[in-house]
Amino acid sequence: MKPVVSMKHICKSFFGSYANHNVDFEAYPGEVHALLGENGAGKTTLMNILYGIYTPDEGSIEIDGVPVVISAPKDAITQKIGMVHQHFKLVSNLTVSQNITLGLKSKGYPFTRRSLIDKRLREISEQYGLAIDPAAKISSLSVGQQQRVEIMKLLYRDVTTLILDEPTAVLTPRETEDFFDVLKRLRSSGKAVIIITHRIPEVMEISDRVTVLMDGKKVASLMREELNEDVLSRLMIGRELGEVRRTLQQSFEGKGLSVSNLNIKENGLMQLSNVSLTIAPGEIHGIAGVAGNGQKYLAEAIVGIRKYAEGSIALNGVCLDRLDIENRKKLGIGYISDDRHRDGLIADMDLSENLLLSSACSRYVKHGWIRKKDLTAAAEETVKRFEIKARSVKLPIRYLSGGNQQKLILARELTEDVRLIIAFQPTRGLDIGATEFVHKLLNDYKAKGCCVLLISADLNEVFSISDRVSVMYSGRIAGTVNNNGNVDMTKIGLMMAGKEQQA
Amino acid sequence: MNKNKAARILSYTLIVPVAVLIFCLMILLVGCDLGDALKGFWNGAFGSTYSIAEVLVKASPLILCGISVSVGAHAGFTNIGAEGQFYMGAAVTAAISMYAPLPARLLLPVSMIAGFLAGGIWAMIPGILKARFNISEVINTIMFNYIATGIVGILLQTVLKDPKAYYPQSSKIPKEMYLSKILNGTRLHSGLIVALVCAAFVYVFIRCTYSGYKIRAVGQNPRASLCAGIRVRRSIIFSSLLSGGFAGLAGVCEIAGLQHKLMDGISPGYGYLAIVAALLGVNNPIGIVIASVGIAILQEGANGMQRAGSVPTSISNVMLGMLVLLILGRAVFEKRLAKKGAHRV
Repeated sequence: MKPVVSMKHICKSFFGSYANHNVDFEAYPGEVHALLGENGAGKTTLMNILYGIYTPDEGSIEIDGVPVVISAPKDAITQKIGMVHQHFKLVSNLTVSQNITLGLKSKGYPFTRRSLIDKRLREISEQYGLAIDPAAKISSLSVGQQQRVEIMKLLYRDVTTLILDEPTAVLTPRETEDFFDVLKRLRSSGKAVIIITHRIPEVMEISDRVTVLMDGKKVASLMREELNEDVLSRLMIGRELGEVRRTLQQSFEGKGLSVSNLNIKENGLMQLSNVSLTIAPGEIHGIAGVAGNGQKYLAEAIVGIRKYAEGSIALNGVCLDRLDIENRKKLGIGYISDDRHRDGLIADMDLSENLLLSSACSRYVKHGWIRKKDLTAAAEETVKRFEIKARSVKLPIRYLSGGNQQKLILARELTEDVRLIIAFQPTRGLDIGATEFVHKLLNDYKAKGCCVLLISADLNEVFSISDRVSVMYSGRIAGTVNNNGNVDMTKIGLMMAGKEQQA
Repeated sequence: MNKNKAARILSYTLIVPVAVLIFCLMILLVGCDLGDALKGFWNGAFGSTYSIAEVLVKASPLILCGISVSVGAHAGFTNIGAEGQFYMGAAVTAAISMYAPLPARLLLPVSMIAGFLAGGIWAMIPGILKARFNISEVINTIMFNYIATGIVGILLQTVLKDPKAYYPQSSKIPKEMYLSKILNGTRLHSGLIVALVCAAFVYVFIRCTYSGYKIRAVGQNPRASLCAGIRVRRSIIFSSLLSGGFAGLAGVCEIAGLQHKLMDGISPGYGYLAIVAALLGVNNPIGIVIASVGIAILQEGANGMQRAGSVPTSISNVMLGMLVLLILGRAVFEKRLAKKGAHRV
C-alpha cells in the first residue's frame, strides 16, 4: 500500500533547540494513525508543519508520492489535508452551515443557495454518522458536537487526510465513544486519519498504526499487532531518569498540609474528584501527570483561588476552607504559578513593586504607607541574592528574561515564614542553571521544615527531588509511590495514561 | 534607550507646531482674518487679569473631574460618568442649602462631604456591578449620566425649585456657604485650591500608599493581583467611590464658588471634557492640571476669537479633537522615529 502522506527527515528548531529532529512520518489511506508522545515531544509541531503553519528547516513532504511545498494552510487544503485544532475555530453566533462555508466562494456567490449546501452537509452528516443539523447555531452545540462540525468542515472541503490535535481532551467519556464511531467510519471510507494524543488507552482502542515521538525524535513506529500498553508507556516516557538530587528527609513538628476528599465540578466535568493527600513538614511531594489532569485545580484550590464545594484543606491543623487568599497567604503559603505572566507578575511595574504584590510582603507597609526605602533596599538585596540580571530595580519587569522573572517570584513567595510552597511548573522555560537553582531552593526550604507541593509535567523534575510522588489522571490521584530509587517507571506511565489504579 | 528618549521628546514637542498650524489653517478656512483671530485668542485667554482668572475658573472643575477619571482608570474602571457624578454633588449641595437645619458656617463643609459621597455612591453603583457581575462600567456610567441629569431636572421642577423664580432653578445658597474669592474683581474662587489640593492628594495616594498600589495592581493585572491575595473587587469598588467623589466635589465647588444656585445644564460637559483632560494628562495629576488649564485656555481663547473676529467658538472643540488624535498618533510616530534612529546606528 502506498502512503498518502509521507514526511521525510523533518527538522524544525525554535530558538536553537529542536522541536523536531529528523522525523519520518507516513499516513496511509483507510488507517487511523496515532501520533503519541509526552507534552512537548513535538507532535503538534510536526502536524503544524504538515498543515503549513510552520515551514520545516529541513526535510521534504510528499503527497501521493509527489514532492510538494506546503507553506500555508491554504496549500494544505489544496493537497486535501485538513486539521482540527485543539481549540476550535468556529464563530459561535453563526450557524453550522455558515461556519463551514466561511471563506469559500460557493456556487452562485454572492447569491449562494443555502439549501443546496445544507443538502450536501446533511449527506456528509448521514454518511459519517455526525448527526449535525446544518441550520443549528454553534452556540447551541456541545463541545463534542462542535468538534464534529470541525470535522464536517474538512469533509466538505473534500480532504483525504484529517489531522486531529488531542481530539478527546475536551470530550466526556460518552462523547469519546461517539467520536470513535466517527473515526471508524472515516477509516472505512478510505480517509487517512492522524490523531495526536498522549493517552495510551485510546491508542490501543482506535489506532492501526502508532508513531511515538520523544524529545522531538521519532522513537518507534508500530503496527496494530505489535501494540501493547507496557511497550507504549516505556517508549513514551522511557528515558533514563536524571540524577536523583533528593535530600534526606528529616522529621519536623507540625501536621503539615492535609487535603481530604476535594471535589470540584466545572463545566459538567469533575475537574477534581476525591483528591486526598498529605504532606509532612520537610517533605517534597511531587505530582506527576500529563498537563490538564486537574493539577491546576488542585493548586488553585489550596491557594484559595478556586472555590470548592466539597472537601477540606488544612495547614498545620488550621482549616483553610473559610479563609480567603490573603489570609491563607498570611498563614505562610507561597504560590508559584505555572503561568507567571498571567498569575504572578505585573509586567509594567518595576522589580520592587512586583516584590510588594504578595500580601505576605506587607511588611513593607506601615500604617498604609509603602516604605519605599525598605522596599527598594529589599529589592536590591533580592537582585543580589538571587543573581537576577537587571540593570535597575526600577526597570519594568517585562524587560527581564523568563528565568529572572521566575527568580523574582521565588524571592517574593518564599519568605522567611513560608510553611507551604506550591511550586507549579516552577522551572518551565528556564535553562539548566536556573532550574538547578530552583531545585536547590526547594530543597533548602524542605530542610527548614517547609511542606512543598511540586507539580510538574516533567517526570525528570518530579522524580529528581520529590520524597513521594502522586500521579494525577483526569482529576483523580491515580496512585502514590515512595520515591525510593527503584520506582517502576512503566507503572508510572500507565498511571499517567489512566490505565492502572493503585491503592 | 537614549535614542528612544530623544524620539519621545521630539514627538511630543512636534505636537505644538503641528497643532498651531492646523489651528491657523482652520481659522483661514472659515474665512477670518488670521491676525485678528489670534489677537482675539490672546486677549480672551491672557488679555487681562479677569481673563486669566476666567481660565482658572474653567480649569478648576476640569481638574477635579480629570483626577476623578484618572483614579478610576488606575483600577481599570473606565469612568465616563463624571458628568452625572458632578450633577449629584451639585444637587446635594443645593438640597443642603435649602433644607439642612445646620448652623450656617457648617453648611459648606457638610456639603463638601455629602457632595463627595453623593458623587462617590453614584459611581460606586456601576463599580459594584462591574466588580460583582462583570457588567461593563462604560455603559453603566454613561447611562447614569442621563439618570443624574434627569433626576436634577425633576428636582428643579419640584422640591428644589425656587418658588420666586420663573425658570427651573434652586434658590440662591446663603452667603455663608460661598467659597471665598481669591482675586477681587474676578470670579476666581477657592475651588481652584480645593482642586489643587485634591490633585496633590491623588498624586501621593496613588504612588505612596498601599491602597493606591493595590488599585494600580488591580488595574494592570487583576488576575495576578487576585492570585497574590489582593481583594480585587474591593479595590475596584473603592476606586469607583473615590473616583466619583472627586467629580461630586467638583459639583459642590461649582455651586458654592461660582453659580450659587443649581440649574439645568450647570455643567457645560465638564465630565466629558475631563476624559480628554485625563487622556492628555496621561492619568498623572500634574499632567491633568496642565491639560485642564490648557483646555480652559483653548476655550476662553476661542471665546475671545469669536468676540474679535467672529470665528465660531466650536473651533476649540475641533481643536481638542485634533489634539487627542495628535497625541494618539504620536506613539506611532515615536516608534517610526526610534526605528529610523536604530537603523542609522
